[in-house]
Amino acid sequence: MTSGLDPVIHAPARLRVVATLNALREGDTVTFPGLRDLLGMTAGNLSVHLGKLEDAGYVEITKTHRGRTPVTYVALTRRGRLAFEDYTAEIRSLLDAASPPADG
Amino acid sequence: MDDDERALSPQEMLRLIEQQETAAAERFVPDPVPHFLAWGVAWLAGYGALFLHYGLFGRPYAPVPAWAALTVLWVLMVAALVISAATMWQLRSPVRGPSQERGTMYGLSWALGFLGVWTVGIRFGQQLPEAETGLLWAGLSMMTVAMLYVAGGAVWHERTMFLFGVGMAVLNAAGVMAGPGWHALLMAAGGGGGSIVAGLLLRRARRR
Repeated sequence: MTSGLDPVIHAPARLRVVATLNALREGDTVTFPGLRDLLGMTAGNLSVHLGKLEDAGYVEITKTHRGRTPVTYVALTRRGRLAFEDYTAEIRSLLDAASPPADG
Repeated sequence: MDDDERALSPQEMLRLIEQQETAAAERFVPDPVPHFLAWGVAWLAGYGALFLHYGLFGRPYAPVPAWAALTVLWVLMVAALVISAATMWQLRSPVRGPSQERGTMYGLSWALGFLGVWTVGIRFGQQLPEAETGLLWAGLSMMTVAMLYVAGGAVWHERTMFLFGVGMAVLNAAGVMAGPGWHALLMAAGGGGGSIVAGLLLRRARRR
């Protein structure tokens, strides 16, 4: 029944990452530590999931420098936003199909 | 396959989405409630004191000296400014990009607006009678505030902010035409009271 769901997003940790990034306004990015704090994940764990999302073309990771300190910014790509919207719509339709329509 | 990879039921996944969206919105979007409440209190108390000083028909309603009423207004406005900057500016926000740039430009427009108020007020204020000087300052600053709320509503597509600005612009125009006492009354009740009501409505909307 759930086989049609996007396997890249259909994992709790990555779903949380994508839902968080989707809350950014289009064009905005968030720092890696900022994202890590919001998700309460370890840096290593977050890196692994971001790597998978990046491979799928869902997130864009920009590495740059502020003075001498390296900073990493993360954002959802257009494709990532669409994938999250599709996923949310599918989850909702699964729930609608599973529960009988409320009559009132 | 670790725990992170194991999918939950659709209900649980949907709840996860909703929880995370709320947490992210709280972190990324500044909370406008303290800003509206602080300015509401400042205008209600400050213009309320000025209203008692002027009275509606040329006679004071209470023995409040002008300097005391203006001190209340200015001290509370400075306090509100500090609260706004602390809650809206988000210096430690992890977000970078167009939103940050937009916020900086908007902040700058407030500084420039009040630069205009100060220069016009100082240059022309000296040549007017006391009550008219007060009205010049109050009218200019509330006009600037109203226009910046209207513009802010347009920039962030925030209807509450836009409508509040429209209301202030209309009340300010009416008050300036009617005179210092009326202006103070309209700014205390409409501006101050309106800002407190807007803050309370926004708080309810945020908690829902």
